Amino acid sequence: MSDDRFDAIIVGGGIAGTVTAYLLAKEGLEVMLVERGNYSGSKNVTGGRIYSHSLEKIIPDFAQEAPVERKITREKISLMTDDSNVTIDFSSTRLGQQGSDSYSVLRGAFDQWLAGKAEDAGVQMVTGIRVDNLIVREGKVCGIVAGEDEMEANITILADGVNSLLAQKLGYRGELSPHQVAVGVKEIIELPSEVIDDRFNCKDGEGTSWLFAGTPSAGKVGGGFIYTNKASISLGVVCTLCELIKANKTIPQMLEDFKSHPSIEPLLKGGKMIEYSGHLVPEGGLHMVPKIIGDGVLIVGDAAGFCINLGYAVRGMDFAVGSAECAARAVLKAKETKNYSAEFLQCYQSFLDDSFVMKDLKHYKNFPHFLEETPRIFDGYPGMAADMMTDLFVVTGNPPQSMTRMMMKHVKQIGLLNIAKDGWKGVRSL
Amino acid sequence: MNIISCFKVVPDEQDITIKPNRDISFEKAPMTISAYDLNCIEAGAQLAEAFEGNLIGVSIGAKKIDDSKLKKNVLSRGPESILMVADDFLEDLDTYQTANALKAAIQKVGEFDLILCGEGSADLYAQQVGAQLGQLLNVPVINSVNKIALMEGKVIVERSLEDEVETIEIPLPAVISVTSDINLPRIPSMKQILAAGKKSATILSALDVGIGDFGATLQVIETKAPEQKERKKDIIQGDSDEAIKSFITKINKVLK
Repeated sequence: MSDDRFDAIIVGGGIAGTVTAYLLAKEGLEVMLVERGNYSGSKNVTGGRIYSHSLEKIIPDFAQEAPVERKITREKISLMTDDSNVTIDFSSTRLGQQGSDSYSVLRGAFDQWLAGKAEDAGVQMVTGIRVDNLIVREGKVCGIVAGEDEMEANITILADGVNSLLAQKLGYRGELSPHQVAVGVKEIIELPSEVIDDRFNCKDGEGTSWLFAGTPSAGKVGGGFIYTNKASISLGVVCTLCELIKANKTIPQMLEDFKSHPSIEPLLKGGKMIEYSGHLVPEGGLHMVPKIIGDGVLIVGDAAGFCINLGYAVRGMDFAVGSAECAARAVLKAKETKNYSAEFLQCYQSFLDDSFVMKDLKHYKNFPHFLEETPRIFDGYPGMAADMMTDLFVVTGNPPQSMTRMMMKHVKQIGLLNIAKDGWKGVRSL
Repeated sequence: MNIISCFKVVPDEQDITIKPNRDISFEKAPMTISAYDLNCIEAGAQLAEAFEGNLIGVSIGAKKIDDSKLKKNVLSRGPESILMVADDFLEDLDTYQTANALKAAIQKVGEFDLILCGEGSADLYAQQVGAQLGQLLNVPVINSVNKIALMEGKVIVERSLEDEVETIEIPLPAVISVTSDINLPRIPSMKQILAAGKKSATILSALDVGIGDFGATLQVIETKAPEQKERKKDIIQGDSDEAIKSFITKINKVLK
């Protein structure tokens, strides 16, 4: 290798970038990965869970070795109002079978482990460096510019996250629009692992994923989340940017209120906040995917908008791995023929189309729109559920009413037709 | 021109945590370059670049100082190579033992013209090692230096004292401790980081440099964080006139 040229330069040391770099270096390519933070994972904010199916293919049994926190064996979804919380709680040994298991992770540790893997495979890791620009000649991306330094490569892979300024500089996408992204804030709250086992009814090493709709995001599109880690809890609130403007609270206030909710506060008692972070979350689904292929350049992971929020499940990391794998395959093919043109690199798109990445994104393509168009999920149904439960469980000594009448009273507030419509639209968009 | 920058490897203070019993935990703290020694390495790098000299980074400590990220970090800041003496008994040394271990390491390097040290270490800040090293090597030694002009066979240095700037001429070879004002340590560039990956680091054992166990002269009985003052946690929210008034009343009460 000459000092000034690599086979591939990858911008961004998150999961998408690191996996791409790892796969390419493993095949003997000269690869440099440039990460803006002082270490991989330092600039990252994640809710907290990775579905293992994707990474399992690349690093078999990774969960044995990687610093994962807990295997998720309990799924909870709640509809939350100011004073109540109605929860569906699903625990099953069917969750957590190898291949379809998922893990809570703290990315600071996880990404460093992954970076170590990449480095061992021969990737030149350059951390603490911001890539300012791309070298573009006659429409072809030829490398990167960082401060005074330039470095060239046959291919540059952008894995620089949701707000990919480099993709924007290339003109592959415009400014992010407020309905494509949400703002997420998260706290990590430290608690002894036995306390977490007890409070969340988890076996040692196993954990809970818990999503909330309703008051956590002040009735706006978004929600709250809790993931149990080994000896801490990741807890946060996400709210779509365009809705946040209309909300009567700021995001930090939403988080404070969420933490002091009567259903949540006892879970956190005695805990110590050890980390606070905030980040943009891509939520547009397929509709926000920008141009991802150009002469000498590919875009992967969040930068490519590969993320789905389904309300009951949020996925981004497995798409990061999946897109990284497709990109690496495309680059290896391009290297064989020494053809890095956009035309040839279209094979990245075909690999994506054949993979779960595009299949899932296409399948759920109308869901983000459905959420946005159905505010009742966030400001209607939580209240209805709480009122129904109140009538069921609160015993006052007053004469009883028939169950149908009791329930219909609350259903009518929203309107039976509306519920049917929302249900139908929701199911169709899934 | 052979220049040596000595550096100490310490736990990163950003990640040192205090346990509920006030014990200090280094568990999550990765090893890093002692902050004051960044100035020392930078001073060495600037001189080496200006006079086409050869800069070597030298450190001694427990085996854990042999850390690939740390070595890359040092090498991206200018030194052409690193020499480390890493052995587990080289921890918790007193300053004289540290100076002796450094001397042994430096004798492996061979000829030198100038040895640079930081003003103190980021963990203990005893400010002794530089002076003792000069004594042990039997060369002139001067501390608190914030400007160095290198000439043929000598250096002219400036020291900012309380009410004067002292200018001193010192014959080489010499040991100089620099202040943290002497320069602004560089943020390594992409190419410097890449180049660091190709530079060499030599890791020797104490035996390799001919030193045996010094025998502990220091025994750390306890290190505790200062007791935290209990706060009243009386939080007044909002910016209404009432809230401000209540705030002022409370402050007044305490001040009286």
